Amino acid sequence: MFFHIYLERNMQLHPRHFGPHLRDKLISKLIQDVEGTCSGRHGFVVAVTAVETIGQGLIRDGTGYVTFPMKYQCVVFRPFKGEILESVVTMVNKMGFFAEAGPVQIFVSNHLIPDDMVFQSGDVPSYETSDGSVRIQKDSEVRLKIVGTRVDATEIFCIGTIKDDFLGLIGNPGGGA
Amino acid sequence: MAGKPGQAIEEEDARELKLGEDFVKAKCLMNAEVALILQRKYEQLQTFSEDAPNQISQVFEKSLQYVKRFSHYQNPNAVKQVRDVLSRNQLAEFEVCVIGNLCPETVEEAKALVPSIAKKGRMDDEKIEQMIQDLATIKTFE
Repeated sequence: MFFHIYLERNMQLHPRHFGPHLRDKLISKLIQDVEGTCSGRHGFVVAVTAVETIGQGLIRDGTGYVTFPMKYQCVVFRPFKGEILESVVTMVNKMGFFAEAGPVQIFVSNHLIPDDMVFQSGDVPSYETSDGSVRIQKDSEVRLKIVGTRVDATEIFCIGTIKDDFLGLIGNPGGGA
Repeated sequence: MAGKPGQAIEEEDARELKLGEDFVKAKCLMNAEVALILQRKYEQLQTFSEDAPNQISQVFEKSLQYVKRFSHYQNPNAVKQVRDVLSRNQLAEFEVCVIGNLCPETVEEAKALVPSIAKKGRMDDEKIEQMIQDLATIKTFE
């Protein structure tokens, strides 16, 4: 799920930037530093939308750098256990398939794919029901539920399932479900 | 998370709206809303900056592609109406956005996707049905 949240960060700035454009410089440095990063606590920072306040700078002993406490608003993407979301399949193999929902990767193991869907190798590997009515392959759109997340310092990785009511295929490349 | 020593960290579970202290009061965004925000920011970057491609992170690009593909409402007015309809029903932010993103078509589906709405007698089937119909109407006329 995407969220709009307030975050804080201490920004260090070299004295050469002090001048009429101090504020602009701080903001562009903040955007450069945080956009695209990921933390286990707040998820992926997608975009900074506003800078709320820039506090009083504090000169650091010995270096001349100044630290400014900044409060800003940003859009983050944070997956939660139990959340249901839609995703695009990126790779299919006999262990299961990988899907992407925005910046996050989700793996659906073949144990968490309904039993009537079997792996079919070939040019386009896929999971198919025996009558061929449902077919999950690369670029299919799939609705899944997140059952677990693995969080490390710079990445979030999810495990998903499609073995539940109202989950599974919602669209195939080239249209039709 | 910042759990105190000796205190078990409460496990998060979106189905019961346990999102952890950082997110429990945070504002959720529907895919359609994120699409509006990101698209605007993207256009601003294109016009005001000469090295735009370098300033756009992979996370930004993937998110934009994703929300464009999966937002069920394109028109900004429709997006606002959807939020109004859902907010009227005293749903939590998170529930509002899950329903807005997934657009359930039946009462059963809505209850399966967001089990918390049917708990504690918060919403009976009739109310859910009404809500789903309101959403469908917005989609038809957007």
